[in-house]
Amino acid sequence: MRALAMLCVPFVLTALPVVAQDPTRGNAQGDLAITIYNGGQSLVQDIRQIAFPAGRTRQEFPDVSAQIRPQTVSFAAANTAIVEQNFDYDLLSPNALMQKAVGETVTLLRTNPATGAETRERAKVLAVNGGVVLQIGSRIEILRDDGMPVRVIFDKIPPNLRAKPTLSITVDSDRAGTRPATLSYLTNGLGWAADYVSLYDEKAGTIDVQGWVTLSNNTGTTFDNAKTLLVAGTPSTRGAVSPAYRPRPQPPGNLRRAGTETAPREQLGDYYLYPLVERTTIANAQTKQVSFLDVSGVPAQKIYEFTVGGFETMTEPASAASVIKFNTSAKGGGLGDALPAGTVRFYQRDMRGDPQFIGENNIGHTPMGSELGLATGQAFDVKVQATVVKRERISDHRWRTQMSYLLTNARANPVTLDLVQRGLDWYWDETRILDESRKSERLDSDGTRWRIELPANGEATITATFETRN
Amino acid sequence: MRRWPLLLSMLAASPAAAQPAVTSLAPEKVSVSVFRDPGRDEGGEISPNWLEGFALISESRTIDLPAGEATVRFEGVAEGMIAVSAIVTGLPGGVVQKNRDAALLSPASLLDGSLGNRVHIRRTDGATGKVTEEEAVIRSGPAGAVVLQTSAGYEALRCTGIPESILYDGVPAGLTAKPTLSVTTRSPAAQRATVTLTYLSTGFDWASNYVARVREDGKTLDLFAWLTVANSNGESFADAGLAAIAGTLNKVSDFEELADRPRTPPLYLRCFPTGSGRYGAPPPPPPPAPPPPAAMEDSMDSIVVTGSRLQRSALLSPVAVVASQEDLGDLKLYRVPIPVTVAANGQKQVALLVKDDVPFRTIYRLRVYPGDEGKAMEPEILLRMQNKEAEGLGVPLPSGQAAVFEPVGGHEMLVGEGRMRDHAVGEKVDLVIGESSQVRIDVENYVPPKNRQHDYRITVTNANPHPADVELGFEVDDNDGLDSRIRKLPRRDGLLTWVVRVPANGSKTFHYRVKAED
Repeated sequence: MRALAMLCVPFVLTALPVVAQDPTRGNAQGDLAITIYNGGQSLVQDIRQIAFPAGRTRQEFPDVSAQIRPQTVSFAAANTAIVEQNFDYDLLSPNALMQKAVGETVTLLRTNPATGAETRERAKVLAVNGGVVLQIGSRIEILRDDGMPVRVIFDKIPPNLRAKPTLSITVDSDRAGTRPATLSYLTNGLGWAADYVSLYDEKAGTIDVQGWVTLSNNTGTTFDNAKTLLVAGTPSTRGAVSPAYRPRPQPPGNLRRAGTETAPREQLGDYYLYPLVERTTIANAQTKQVSFLDVSGVPAQKIYEFTVGGFETMTEPASAASVIKFNTSAKGGGLGDALPAGTVRFYQRDMRGDPQFIGENNIGHTPMGSELGLATGQAFDVKVQATVVKRERISDHRWRTQMSYLLTNARANPVTLDLVQRGLDWYWDETRILDESRKSERLDSDGTRWRIELPANGEATITATFETRN
Repeated sequence: MRRWPLLLSMLAASPAAAQPAVTSLAPEKVSVSVFRDPGRDEGGEISPNWLEGFALISESRTIDLPAGEATVRFEGVAEGMIAVSAIVTGLPGGVVQKNRDAALLSPASLLDGSLGNRVHIRRTDGATGKVTEEEAVIRSGPAGAVVLQTSAGYEALRCTGIPESILYDGVPAGLTAKPTLSVTTRSPAAQRATVTLTYLSTGFDWASNYVARVREDGKTLDLFAWLTVANSNGESFADAGLAAIAGTLNKVSDFEELADRPRTPPLYLRCFPTGSGRYGAPPPPPPPAPPPPAAMEDSMDSIVVTGSRLQRSALLSPVAVVASQEDLGDLKLYRVPIPVTVAANGQKQVALLVKDDVPFRTIYRLRVYPGDEGKAMEPEILLRMQNKEAEGLGVPLPSGQAAVFEPVGGHEMLVGEGRMRDHAVGEKVDLVIGESSQVRIDVENYVPPKNRQHDYRITVTNANPHPADVELGFEVDDNDGLDSRIRKLPRRDGLLTWVVRVPANGSKTFHYRVKAED
């Protein structure tokens, strides 16, 4: 079988010289400008110097992204008009070469395994169906039926077979001459996300935020020395998130309030632009990080949050979420920028002064002026235990539930805990609070919130009586 | 010897040259009309490797007919040909019979068809390299093994341990290299005829690809569309008349199944046990396996191109050729005015329509049921145009993908992509191109309900430095107890809709009350 593998080599070798690419010419990419969107979509603009003859010509464009979406190609060059664009992917392979040789004549070169003597003869390919049927003179035989070494030499490569999928554009040029031509296309495989490094200073109540753009290229193509621009947005429809009927009671999301301030950055429609200052080479399979944000001393508040989903007794106390809250407003007391979607990682210095990782969370594209509350984890020392003290039926449809919440703080400093009772208008209906040991703030029809300052190494108990209808 | 009569009858039954055969190798003129994949979503993308549309191919061929009955064989047709759809016109004697011959010439069929015939067997001595040839007669069929009769007696092929190969004296009649359409005709006299072969073929598809370029004023756009045609057949159609048909036509048969290519039976030869019998017979050498298709790797060599001036001109050169549109019954036909080549395994684009200066509006849209809730929801961004001549359009718009570009700092950049359905003249075009994270919508049931009445508040916030036109449509399925504030709203796309312009960096609210369901 080793002979077989070796025999494949001549096929490839004979094919190479005909391929139009000149390996010494290197990369045919021109002046590149790449706009990368979130969601793996990118716009490549490639300005190449092309010597157009006058009249109608077909221009081939090698070295475009291997994940090009050919139907999105646009072309612009002075004094040219486009006739048609083609993307041909009839690829050259030994099988394709043989299939296209049906009816054609090829040369067979037989090498005698013992004597090494070579004999050459011409053969006509009659059919390629599970085996190659050849006609040599008046004889019919099957190619390599006996396993003996035979080289098949083709006279030419059919014009349609190509080494790579090839983009070509046919243009009418009204004058001859070299001039820049802009090729633009969309490609898959290039994407970016933001990564935020956020150092939290608990004593000062501030965060220092650095934003990094993380760029990844899985196109199979390296883009050399490209002017790069990042767009915070996915310029296609993912399908809008529709509102839902009575969503199940859940803890608050990360974006607490959407802002209405416009960040001092260039915009494209509803998206912000993040240009990279210098040209950069985006190598295939590379991950590249570039800084885009560096703000220090942003006021941030650590708060503990716990959401009780319904009127249920918890047999074990559960940890509250540690949440870091800050806003992105530019009007003092905020970070002062819009934040592209990504991951926010929080760090805090340990006793030795070394930063340690304390948790992470995701944010979506966040307008400037928004309030964010990012849970970094579950607090070891701050816990809540809810108990249904009494549930009684008042009338056919009315029930009365008495709840008690034990809040404990094992930390050596006082903490603020937001305790939210949800489910007031979800399973139950028209819930009223008849009495409560501390005044709560009704958030909406479904939830109410107590904000409690828990003393260091202390605890508190809240009681409340709810009347519900079902 | 008892087999002889049987064999003879088989030979006689084989479609040997009973009538002269005329082979037409290739058409002189061809036209291709491509139909879209009826199963693809409107505005869906065509996938070049899986084309589920089809084409009507019409070929003009010149043939020399003998007098009397003759078989005309058409070669070089699309491999996805649906033979039952073929129509042959222009034969002076008409068509007597139409056949699709699918008995393919292959190693197995060659052996099978040569049963009982004299062949030659070639052997190569491994030590001396001496090649010997001798006559043989094939005595058993290819189903598993071949027994040969040679001057020395009876032998089994490939059981000798010596490389050996059968040489045939000819190809049995009726075997073709590729599935072939043939027709039988009875010509009154020998003559040259121009015939037209028309057939449907699978392995095609087309879609339109729109490119909308927003002008600097932000109020008008230049709409351009490509006619994108793809062909996954192994045949190229050079200098073809190309047309594409938009619209929905009924199709009940499974074209893929009708065009299904017959499978070639593989040839396996089994021997009697040799050696110790522990391992059976050595398998025959497989045909040379094709290496995997050329990998799509790009050269990593790099040269740095500097100093070239950034071109600020348009995204697109003008187009030299634009398809013309005509009505074909209830379908729309787009004709490419010049002959073009529809290449094998290729995709081509020709301009479909060019419409400059089309006014449009940007709308933010969300639809809710009264009683739904949501926080910081992202509405759809859509571009609204009117497909009317007075509004800069007024042409049929076949479905396809649309990419929208906007100028920023002299560059045209992609601002959104969407799908367009088929739009007749006069319709409103809403092209959804993405979702906004700058315009956010809260729908809150913000206070405790009382007496089964729930109070809702919609807040639209706009972080853009320009006003936002928002349309919030209510999907009402029960008018009983519907708040008059909703009831009084105007209708948009059939829905009662709160139409509001949210000021730059501002917000707007809308209150309504919903009666609780029992």
